[in-house]
Amino acid sequence: MQKSFKKMTAILLAVLLVVTCFAACTPTTPAESTSTPESTADAPVESTPEEPAESTPEEAPTGDGEMTDVGTPRAETLIVETQTPTDVPGQFNSYMQGTQMGFGIHQLMSAMMWEMDTVAAEQFGEVADGMPESNADFTEHMVKIRQGIKWSDGEDLNAEDVAFTFNMIMSNPGISQCDYYNQTFESVEVADDYTVKIVTKEAFPRLAQTFGVTIWGNDLRIVPEHIYSQQADTSTFKDENPVVAGPYTVKDYDPLGMWILYELREDWDASTLGVVTGKQPKAKYVWFRALGDDNTRQMALINNEVDILCEVTPEILEVMVAQNPNIAAWYKDFPYATSDDPCSKGISFQMAKAPFDNADFRWGITLAMNFDEISMSIFDGAGRASPFPILTATGAMMEAYYEPLVPWLEEFTLDLGDGTTVAPFDPGYGQRMADALTAQGRDIPTDEASLLDMFGIGCWKYDPEAAEKLLIKGGLEKRDDGWYFEGNPFTFNMTYLADTEVQAGRGLQAAYDQLKEFGLNVNLASESSATWDTNAAIGNYEVAGYWPTGGITKDLYSVIRGWDADLIVPLGERGSGQASRWNNAEATAIIKELSTISPEDDRAYELGMDFMKVAIADMPFIGFHSGVKYVPTNSTYWTNYPNADNPYNGPWWWWSCFKYIMVDFTPVA
Amino acid sequence: MKFRKFLGLRLLTWALTILIGVTFVFFIPRMFPSDPVESMIGQIQSRSGQMDPAQMEAMRAQLRVQFGLDGSLIEQYGSFLWNGLLHFDFGPSLMSFPTPAGEIIATYLPYTLILCLTSTFLAWLIGNLIGLRAGFQKNKRSSKIMESVAICIYPIPYFIVALVLQIVFAFVLGWFPLITTINQSGGTWEFLSSLLWASILPAISLLLIGTGWWIISMKSLSSSTAEEDFVMFARLRGLPEKSISNRYVLRNSIIPQITALGMSLGGVFGGSIMTEIMFGYPGVGMLIQKAIMASDYNMILGCITISIVAISTATLIVDLINPFIDPRIRYS
Repeated sequence: MQKSFKKMTAILLAVLLVVTCFAACTPTTPAESTSTPESTADAPVESTPEEPAESTPEEAPTGDGEMTDVGTPRAETLIVETQTPTDVPGQFNSYMQGTQMGFGIHQLMSAMMWEMDTVAAEQFGEVADGMPESNADFTEHMVKIRQGIKWSDGEDLNAEDVAFTFNMIMSNPGISQCDYYNQTFESVEVADDYTVKIVTKEAFPRLAQTFGVTIWGNDLRIVPEHIYSQQADTSTFKDENPVVAGPYTVKDYDPLGMWILYELREDWDASTLGVVTGKQPKAKYVWFRALGDDNTRQMALINNEVDILCEVTPEILEVMVAQNPNIAAWYKDFPYATSDDPCSKGISFQMAKAPFDNADFRWGITLAMNFDEISMSIFDGAGRASPFPILTATGAMMEAYYEPLVPWLEEFTLDLGDGTTVAPFDPGYGQRMADALTAQGRDIPTDEASLLDMFGIGCWKYDPEAAEKLLIKGGLEKRDDGWYFEGNPFTFNMTYLADTEVQAGRGLQAAYDQLKEFGLNVNLASESSATWDTNAAIGNYEVAGYWPTGGITKDLYSVIRGWDADLIVPLGERGSGQASRWNNAEATAIIKELSTISPEDDRAYELGMDFMKVAIADMPFIGFHSGVKYVPTNSTYWTNYPNADNPYNGPWWWWSCFKYIMVDFTPVA
Repeated sequence: MKFRKFLGLRLLTWALTILIGVTFVFFIPRMFPSDPVESMIGQIQSRSGQMDPAQMEAMRAQLRVQFGLDGSLIEQYGSFLWNGLLHFDFGPSLMSFPTPAGEIIATYLPYTLILCLTSTFLAWLIGNLIGLRAGFQKNKRSSKIMESVAICIYPIPYFIVALVLQIVFAFVLGWFPLITTINQSGGTWEFLSSLLWASILPAISLLLIGTGWWIISMKSLSSSTAEEDFVMFARLRGLPEKSISNRYVLRNSIIPQITALGMSLGGVFGGSIMTEIMFGYPGVGMLIQKAIMASDYNMILGCITISIVAISTATLIVDLINPFIDPRIRYS
């Protein structure tokens, strides 16, 4: 009796648990929700986003009368996820450390000197009126300031504010850029109300690239002189009621750091966005909120409690898309993700250690891996191949470097050391992936342009025979019981970051499988972010999933300057750039020459091409894919998000250029 | 006289425990193969791409001086003992420099305490009452049901309980908020009601798991106490069952539970990382996690020092209270 009673109770509880789990998995419709361009200065209206007619949301509630938890009308509130909560709520001064700029602060309020058009891969002036005009030796730079911008308290933004900001940084050791600015600038002065004269201590041809936005943002943000000059110490001034030049101001924030609510300025047309584009954002309120773990993020998007998320895995995206028809990413169907994030992921070598310092060894590793299989392992074949070392295959870089280099790649060969050569470039990757994915039932386009956009120009060949020869040429010895180096069994360690960056982690895991299958003795370990950055700085790794890559502007200097061999420090010491310690004299000479010429100079592009050829021949980094980002949107309340059909900008919600993207979002109601 | 000696000895043990604990907490993070300066530079690089090498070098040197990491370890330790331990001034948070770590902890600690103290105490109370009944009247059907429920719930991993609660009551039914939003800009009533509303699911999740353990442990204690000779003697004397349960079994079984409660209450100062992450609830747990990831020595020290002091103090208080509850315990 006792036994059967216990058994029955256990069964009942188990049934209850299963039922609740089943209930939890039942798809919900957005209606169940209970939740209370890129236009540049120079070409602000060139890329007009489509109106939302084509993307009418399904089963969309109007939002009429519905309020958010922060007391704003849902129909007027754009809800955006922020990646992490802030520990210092109410702190909006970007020059006080710890300020969480990605919490909407730099997306909606900051005034950048130069912003980025991520589609055209060109910078444009935001506070600056155009690019700087420099003298012949690039030591004097005249920067015009855009007229008509007003701070949110009605004061004009002018040259005084710009010069004050530079001098504030230079005179306050509490600001982390202080030393660098003092090393760089001789003086920054007001030339007239709307012109600033900047004198650098040495030739500085890339003022806009260094002190303007090229990717995520930039640490130089212009502050109102009439507010900041009144502060005793601008590095400890919290700025709880910020006066801003961006289109939104802070309406309210959570004292616990979980959200910030922004409100559109009444004089939005005098904000940076208004003056640059002339467009009025349709969202009266933008609510940036931290959502918690992945489960909560998914549920919140499915329940329409948030409009856009930062980044998810493809598995999470597919679940969300299946549960709510208004959720989508860059592509409506496979591959869903955009491949235009400028940080390609792949394999970094520690080239201060043998045999990783040997180009033949590195090429041997490259050809020992089957990239088709790696690609399938990472994101089921999604993502554009980015095989070049250092340079990411973003749309702009494809056009500027990848596609023009194809003829050279087809001729490019490697000496295998036994009198034979191999041509390592494999242009058939895109078609193979398309065939394989089509066979899986995926809807893959067949035209060449789409395949090129989706899968890239090609990859490195899978050629185990050539790989073996290259490894032997690189100093390894193959015996019956495995590979040897300098008489000892050869084993090496591969590491990847455990906490974040799924793409990089999966890439390393897939590479590990490939190299094990090839016959190399490899150990794989993950590291927490606590040790990851330190190990990079001191070179404490052999093969790792770091991503010292980039590529957004045609001028490659900002991407490649960190590979200057003169920056190499001994292992164990903290270096500045050159974590991989790639010692290539030819590449260094190119970097040095590039540093002295204007990014606009034709020679800069030639040097960029030369650098890529040197890098490919020496293979300091094996690229897998460009940054593949699954950034979901929910079109229940807002629509006209940028996507593959309407690519007026990239889905970079966490970048400072967000305001130039969201200005084109349209309310459904 | 005996009590004074006992008290003196306990206070000495208390102080030594804290000193040894915080000494470990001071030195261990500094032995990690990590560095707050590199973490900060790494974060900047990972979001904004490649940094100018000259800028990186200048920033590295500047941050090292600002963070006070250029002094010797002994100097830093001495400064910590004086400021941190004696004055609870842990210095600036390195990840949110120059905001004092203590100020940040003080913002989040009340929320941790409200949630964890309440749920721990309630779980203890409910668990012990049920456990006493289950142990003392172990043949009753209701006792068996309660015991079975406890046995079934207790081994379920916390994150599953929390996830099921969240999915059912917040996602599907929509009875509770999916994401914690505490209204602090309204009046006191708005604040308290939104706090209560946001705390219900996290509290239930903690309560469910916590109660299971207390039921099982109390049931075990009370059932063995119920077998003791003095209980049988009380029955033979004809005392009512309620009186036997409350005056004999409960009083004899509750002592280890009070000790355990003291330890649990001290432990709540460390927060509940899992609860905070899953429900987006603000608290000290996530602060500690972020501090460890960013090698924020001062924040780690601040959070864990408070926890060490709390646990040691709770243990001290329990040790001092026990003799009054149980006359068998003597100061010697």
